[in-house]
Amino acid sequence: MFLNSQKALLKSDGTRLDDRLPSHVRPAFLKTGAVSVAAGSAYAEFGSTKVIVSVYGPRESKKAQAFSDIGRLNCDVKFTSFATPLRGKAGQDVSDKEFSVLLHKALEDAVDLHSFPKTTVDVFALVLQSGGGDLPAIITCASLALADAGIVMHDIVAAISLSCVGKDLLLDPTYKEESQQDGSVFIALMTSRREITQVTFTGEWSSTKASEALELCCDACVKLGEVMRVCLKEDAAEATEDT
Amino acid sequence: MVVGLGLSSAEKSYIAGGIAVDLRGDGRGRHHFRDFSIDTSIIPQANGSARLRLGGTDVIASVKAELCAPPPGRPHHGKLEINVECSPTAAPEFEGRGGEELSMDLSRALQRSFLGGASGAGAAIDLASLVVLEGKLCWMLYFDGLVLSSDGNLLDALSIAMKAALSNCGLPKVEITSGTNPEDDADFELNEEEFTPVDTSRFPVIVTLTKVGKHYIVDATAEEESQMTAAVSVAVNKKGSICGLTKRGGTGLDPSVLLDMISVAKRVSQTLITSIDAEISAAESRHDDQ
Amino acid sequence: MGDAMRGAHFRLSPAQKQRMLVAQERCRDAAGSVHSSAFVNVGDTIPVDYENGYLRGHGTQVVDGQLLATVCGVVERVNKLVSVRPLRARYNPETGDVVVGRVTEVAPKRWKVDVNSRQDAQLMLSAVNLPGGIQRRRTATDELNMRDLFTENDLISAEVQTLHQDGSLHLHTRSLKYGKLESGQLVKVAPYLIKRLKQHFHQLKQYGVQMILGCNGYVWISALPQSTPDIATDQKRANTESLEAAAGTADSQNVEISRELRERICRLANVVRVLGACGFLIHPDSIVDTYEASLSWGTELKHMFSGEFFVKVVEREAEQRSKKG
Repeated sequence: MFLNSQKALLKSDGTRLDDRLPSHVRPAFLKTGAVSVAAGSAYAEFGSTKVIVSVYGPRESKKAQAFSDIGRLNCDVKFTSFATPLRGKAGQDVSDKEFSVLLHKALEDAVDLHSFPKTTVDVFALVLQSGGGDLPAIITCASLALADAGIVMHDIVAAISLSCVGKDLLLDPTYKEESQQDGSVFIALMTSRREITQVTFTGEWSSTKASEALELCCDACVKLGEVMRVCLKEDAAEATEDT
Repeated sequence: MVVGLGLSSAEKSYIAGGIAVDLRGDGRGRHHFRDFSIDTSIIPQANGSARLRLGGTDVIASVKAELCAPPPGRPHHGKLEINVECSPTAAPEFEGRGGEELSMDLSRALQRSFLGGASGAGAAIDLASLVVLEGKLCWMLYFDGLVLSSDGNLLDALSIAMKAALSNCGLPKVEITSGTNPEDDADFELNEEEFTPVDTSRFPVIVTLTKVGKHYIVDATAEEESQMTAAVSVAVNKKGSICGLTKRGGTGLDPSVLLDMISVAKRVSQTLITSIDAEISAAESRHDDQ
Repeated sequence: MGDAMRGAHFRLSPAQKQRMLVAQERCRDAAGSVHSSAFVNVGDTIPVDYENGYLRGHGTQVVDGQLLATVCGVVERVNKLVSVRPLRARYNPETGDVVVGRVTEVAPKRWKVDVNSRQDAQLMLSAVNLPGGIQRRRTATDELNMRDLFTENDLISAEVQTLHQDGSLHLHTRSLKYGKLESGQLVKVAPYLIKRLKQHFHQLKQYGVQMILGCNGYVWISALPQSTPDIATDQKRANTESLEAAAGTADSQNVEISRELRERICRLANVVRVLGACGFLIHPDSIVDTYEASLSWGTELKHMFSGEFFVKVVEREAEQRSKKG
């Protein structure tokens, strides 16, 4: 049984079903400005996972929160009914609400709430297609959207997850790989400072394996951070203005 | 169907004045549709999908096909279900339950236009073509619409997007392995290598006429919609037959005005359907090129 | 990237795509490499002369003795002040800015106005232009009749009076050129595309049109105001006490706008929209220039959002920039 599931995810030459090496991430396609009416927005594709995030604000908070020294960050995640292979809520393991909370936790430390007192910044994430690594994709995309909106932040956050299947560590797992994982790691990282803002482990891990997994994830996040920076710079260059 | 748009009375009279002289704020005439662009196959996991951009309005439609039992009393028909969601990415007001009312309005209007009569006649798709095994197995097509951003005319935009998604849709071949006897359950296998397209020739397009003052306009922007006294959405198919009609807005309409609006909708729909078909083929060939 | 500019979506033929890419390239080259090298991302280190000292401005923070950027944008250095200006942020008000805003609330003795900034601005009853002399005390009648002057959703032009530490800002309309806006349309562009100039009110007499370029990105294009304010009219008004007479709104709203004038307003508005979508500076000269060009090309009003027009506008801008440089 154990061997069967391994064979199902790795081919005889050691590559995964999508031809990747276990330590390779899916190619990322990132673009800012996906929703022009929003203050900032971004669209991200990681393999078959597609996410779009809009940021609104800072704008006036509702009366109750208006008298506060720090700003408010409001995060909302939704899965479209066609996002999962099994249509509708039945296809989701984790609820929209849980994802919203996790997104908020990952971004909280990076956003400078003192820079927009008395007001609110809304982050609306929409998963168009769920193909594995949904939460990291949402966080990475949200980070881009916040930067696009000009929200003051301490650093750019990137996130990644990893599945442990038997002895193998599969970085940036697909939906299929995730569904058969024995354990998992998820981190959100501030990419310039190399500081972890969020981390979760599930399953059983020896310390050596855990540190190996962390190393893999952090390196992947740093590289993803570089891709995000290039994206932001390129999209800024499109705004052809005189200096 | 307007979200949080406040205009000054000066702006309102300027807009109404423009419509009265057939010169709207962006230079269009009363019966002029904005340019739109279609992209297909944007949700590969769905059976068919499309994205439509019409000015600042941006919507996505997807078609998912599932096998199920035919509707009670109609063993020779398949099923359609239509649902629309307004995402908060389009407007912060749509967060939580904020967009619910609008989503329901849009869903109902589309259902009215695409589902046909209670007998199944006049539906957007020939329901008989969705039957796999009469009385036992048929296709259920779920149409899901998603509003990503809105600058008016969501209903028309969604109907175009759904038509495009359907054109992009392929139904896997079903091989019946057993159960052809009336008493037995059907057993089947899906052949995910062979796909059959769905006939979209009956699929109507919705043209909404928004009444502002004495005149009516086609493809209203959000600003123009905020001025409406009434709006009539007419679904028209390629043959020129009306497949559904919905009226919004509290102001009463004289029957002659209603008939005139219908004839305008019919006229506009014919050129619109031609543009849509052209855009869809262009989108499909772009996709094939990739 | 040629197909979709922020805020606009249109289809380009392969030939048009090619022309667009070439034109965009030329624009970028003409803007100079200084621009791209000054761009920083969040978390990037900003090169500073630590020896001579510096002042930390917006969009920066100090971590472990190093100056880092906290927004993505362009580094600006004014004397010793080092700051990062984000490209797409909300409008950052400065005292003296001319803005176009929308009244969101009528509160006791003040209006709240949306000026596309983080918080709504305040316009105090004491800060508006009242007849009968600037120093007139506000009466109880004035307080009750505030809606006669400005009501919810009205568009007004005003000037930024003061800015406070917590980001709140106060406006004033203490000049006859400021006040309620009528007989025209509003176009919104990104605030960073409108530079602070000496003049923000532009009377284009040759078209019979007035343009107000609000520093906050809100642009108002309308018919020229009925009468230019003069002393004689003011004296007449000075004799009345109420706000109603001073507002004189009842008549102005029914100003007849001829079809030709409407077409000109529409063409200018479309030009501003297109320039905004291309990310080009919204300057009165470039607006008039592009307006005239659109006429010479024979572009119909309803075709100003087509791919062809966008390509032509970018090509023209590339041409203008290469001439300068």
